[in-house]
Amino acid sequence: MAEVKILTEFYHLPEYQTLAGYQAKGGYETVPKALKMQAQQIIDEVKASGLRGRGGAGFPTGMKWGFLPKNGEPRYLLCNADEGEPGTFKDRMMMERAPHQLIEGMIISAFAIGSHKGYIYVRGEYVYPIECLNKAIQEAYAAGLLGKNILGSGFDFDLDVYRGAGAYICGEETGMISSLEGLKGQPKLKPPFPAVQGYLRKPTIVNNVETLAAVTYIIRDGAQAYRKNGTEKSSGTKLFSVSGNVVKPGNYEVPLGYPLMNLIMNECGGMKPGRKLKAVIPGGSSAPVLTAEEVAKANMDYESLAGLGTMLGSGAVIVIDDSQCMVDMLGVLTHFYAHESCGQCTPCREGTGWLNKILHAILEGRGRLQDIELLIKVADNMKGKTICALSDAAALPVLSFVNKFREEFEFYVREGRSKVKGTTYAEMHH
Amino acid sequence: MSVMQNNSEKAKWYLPGILGGLWITGKHLVKNLLNRNKMMTLNYPEEKYEYSPRFKGNHVLTVKKDGSLRCTACMLCATNCPAECITITAAEHNNPEVEKFPISYEIDILRCVFCGFCEEACPVDAIRLGPEWQTPALNGSNFIYDINHLAFRPNLKGGIQTHVDDEERHKQGI
Amino acid sequence: MPKCTINGKEVEVKEGSSIIEAMQVSGDRIAHYCWHPGLSVAGVCRVCMVEIEGNPRVQIACNTAVTEGMKINNTSDKVKDAVKWGLDFHLINHPLDCPICDQAGECGLQDQYMEYGKYDPEMAEPKQKKHKVVDLGPTIVLDSERCILCSRCVRFTEEVSKTNELGIFNRGDRSEIGTHDGMKLDNNYSLNTVDICPVGALTSKDFRFRQRAWYLKDAETICNGCSTGCNVKVYFNKEGFFRVKPTFNEQVNGHWMCDEGRNVYKFVNKEHRLLKAQVKGQGSSWTEMSAGAAAKAAAEVIKAAAADSLALVLTAQYSVEEFEAIVTTFVKDFKSNKIYFWINNKEAFDNFDGLLVRGDKNPNTKGLLKVLEKHGITATWNELSRGLKSGAIKTVVVAAPENQVVFPDFADRVKELSQAQNLIWLQSGQNEALKKLDGNVWLIPMKTFVEKDGTFINHSGLEQKFKKVTLVVSEALTLTEAALLLAGKNLNIHATSANEFLPLNQRLDQVAVEARKKNEFVFKRGNL
Repeated sequence: MAEVKILTEFYHLPEYQTLAGYQAKGGYETVPKALKMQAQQIIDEVKASGLRGRGGAGFPTGMKWGFLPKNGEPRYLLCNADEGEPGTFKDRMMMERAPHQLIEGMIISAFAIGSHKGYIYVRGEYVYPIECLNKAIQEAYAAGLLGKNILGSGFDFDLDVYRGAGAYICGEETGMISSLEGLKGQPKLKPPFPAVQGYLRKPTIVNNVETLAAVTYIIRDGAQAYRKNGTEKSSGTKLFSVSGNVVKPGNYEVPLGYPLMNLIMNECGGMKPGRKLKAVIPGGSSAPVLTAEEVAKANMDYESLAGLGTMLGSGAVIVIDDSQCMVDMLGVLTHFYAHESCGQCTPCREGTGWLNKILHAILEGRGRLQDIELLIKVADNMKGKTICALSDAAALPVLSFVNKFREEFEFYVREGRSKVKGTTYAEMHH
Repeated sequence: MSVMQNNSEKAKWYLPGILGGLWITGKHLVKNLLNRNKMMTLNYPEEKYEYSPRFKGNHVLTVKKDGSLRCTACMLCATNCPAECITITAAEHNNPEVEKFPISYEIDILRCVFCGFCEEACPVDAIRLGPEWQTPALNGSNFIYDINHLAFRPNLKGGIQTHVDDEERHKQGI
Repeated sequence: MPKCTINGKEVEVKEGSSIIEAMQVSGDRIAHYCWHPGLSVAGVCRVCMVEIEGNPRVQIACNTAVTEGMKINNTSDKVKDAVKWGLDFHLINHPLDCPICDQAGECGLQDQYMEYGKYDPEMAEPKQKKHKVVDLGPTIVLDSERCILCSRCVRFTEEVSKTNELGIFNRGDRSEIGTHDGMKLDNNYSLNTVDICPVGALTSKDFRFRQRAWYLKDAETICNGCSTGCNVKVYFNKEGFFRVKPTFNEQVNGHWMCDEGRNVYKFVNKEHRLLKAQVKGQGSSWTEMSAGAAAKAAAEVIKAAAADSLALVLTAQYSVEEFEAIVTTFVKDFKSNKIYFWINNKEAFDNFDGLLVRGDKNPNTKGLLKVLEKHGITATWNELSRGLKSGAIKTVVVAAPENQVVFPDFADRVKELSQAQNLIWLQSGQNEALKKLDGNVWLIPMKTFVEKDGTFINHSGLEQKFKKVTLVVSEALTLTEAALLLAGKNLNIHATSANEFLPLNQRLDQVAVEARKKNEFVFKRGNL
């Protein structure tokens, strides 16, 4: 078993970016089929496919759509393309290589949930993907695939690209909705959930780029065909963004449940020559790290990783070899979270800053042995105490790094230098 | 008050008691005349007794390096004062880093019981009790000490900043 | 009406209420900063943690709705630990400003620390530096370092005053409250943000550094700033009154009051008051005497005057009981129906700003009208003017306003009324215009609304009783007393029976034994 290319089948073709090239490979053929179906049928089909949100939380998409109130209230379909998770770069490739694939998925999904207005919220740094999307949307409007009365079916759907300013927190669905509303990008209290009261206080569905793109293939081939790949509970294929110390980093589409070791050793060409695998962060920077022994047991699906105490997240596999200093790496992560915390909830606002300060005290040689225990205590008390998951995202790496690589932290505190690299913080970075 | 009275016959013979007392007085007189260094009394006010550094005498308001008062007018001393002898009026300082300072700080030294609670309550070490206690004045109004007296009286020589200053002050007995 | 169990007690609450509301009903204490009953739920301080049976994680009480049969607990060790950490997160960057912070003594952080904290701080890193002493507007100063970003003030300007001046800027632990570009926090409700600030981040320029909170006593009364009649708490000690804060009354003012109303304490203080009666005859100079003596002297003049030359001018700033007493005295004893209503700002009388402030700046207009109606009095001001001009009215008794600020026509009216031969002027405050009066004048000091019991009837006809708070000018008279004295009667002073004295161990400022055992510094200082 190796790569199974469903979404990425034609990504190697440069013309796949354009409407003509996309249509030549069977693009937009599913739209007329879907528009002839009942909306509920599409939702049922997606439910049957077992498609789970590809953005990070892995919530079943069909079930999410089912939460919408059954009334005529206007509703919105938002595509979350604010790919902020460090290590993730799959959405960028999808939007660059196949913007029409996303648009097609959105048309079908919008029809299913009865929405007439959609937004693609793209992070501001993605200049080129935004260009590609805008071009593709123009083409789609010209071809009558967007706008009023799509393909003569009587279904209207307008689509806009909204450019974010690059805040990590705007990748959280309610944070994204706040940002889209023109407010400060801060997550909102739940309940009410977006499906009940979201964008402009109307029912809103927020889905990841990959999720929406996959909807097209579920409708085209049917739920059962989609289920052929993957495991019972984690069906289908998923793009994994592999980065770090491997020979061939990049995006790989493999069925869910694919062994992590195979992904690293086969698809990515193994570790850099002469290096040994030390750890892997399997789901983006906010997922707890796995040690080399755990990696051997890990399969890339939601359940297997949850069993190992980590998560699939957005599918960003960060491979760490034995030349990396874990203390230094965690320093980078805590700095990121301290910088990106929106500052709304106290445990996260103060906790991320605190963790960062402790860690940098350790890195700069001012650490005390009790600081390691303190890191764990602080992180423990940030977990699950806030509106959104950012404080968990900041706490989990700290807990897993410190617990699994404690001797490195203790060495650093005692000696004031890295155990692996043998150098101090200043020497490592200047 | 009840007084025990000894009305016995024996008590009427007072002369032996008086003579006994005179004998002790005379003994010390001779002792002191022979060895003046061991004399217990001082020639006050030319000679002054040196108190322990922990003696609680008149108050001193300490100052910062720039000579301004250290006191932030938090009123904790006034709150803590059992004799209610401290009166403070706070005001906003032009410098936002100082924020609050006393425009008047008065201690009614006649009410003061020298308990030292103000010293203990002070969060910024602004008030200390010094060794000075010989502070007579000609009328009652002179016993209400204001900032000028508390922080800048002449014998403080420009104000007390640190504990080193304190030690010197103690040595000089002011 | 779902029923739930809170800390073992069964409570029935309104449909859709949150756990924190249920806990207010049941009377259980719960730590909270961002939740305020008058504002929307923000759920950001994360200290109102409760344990709900069947849920492994602690939940915030402010955004969790009560469901039937819910079992809630906020006294378990798990909750206490969560609250302790929530508090620790609030405190790690909070400066140790307590000595110079005006909020000290009534600070949410101090209170919660005494209840849930008392730990050794583990924060060894330097604290975040932010802006201090930020001038937000004409009434308020902000200290960003003390701010715990509960966002109450921001939500207040969004939801209640709807002026939207405040916002939170920056992210993470660099977040700060501030006003939007080019804006000042300048609205007539701005000082409510100081009241709802759980810490000392927002302080009122008026009250700033004037008193420590523990030197003040408080008492509830009714604001006499306008006809809304907001329920307020006045804070005072032996040096006088220092501030006014609103108290909750759903029917009248909710949780809020206006900035104008916060000034009503000022004219009550001694420095603005008439301390002694001032009496003068035609051409002679002022002589000082006690209020009672002055009233008795005035009574002689009234006795000698003919009934139709006697007039009474009332302002709607006294209580219903006082109006009743003086009007009855005039109608029954003096047989005079010449009772006039001095309306201060007729054109703005019916103004309303949509929230609280009303154009009628008298607390008791409805009450005065009711009393006048009861006695069938219909006299108008024009009649008085004519009477004064023609000399038909010779003796005028004036129950002048307490709050002179809202009487822009004060000096003009004084001039007009000075045409009378004898002027008996009853007023609480000093005024320059009165000093210049010529003729026979009796200037008698009156008590203000905080010094007497009474009733105000507000714009909607709601009768609100208020109690005496304290005495500022002990010699001053109430209008009832003045009416008795002017009628030549004696004051009936209630003899206090011996057993009305409180036993020594029940004094208000006594430290309770329990508190003493815990070594808490809880008694209130300050007396008047």
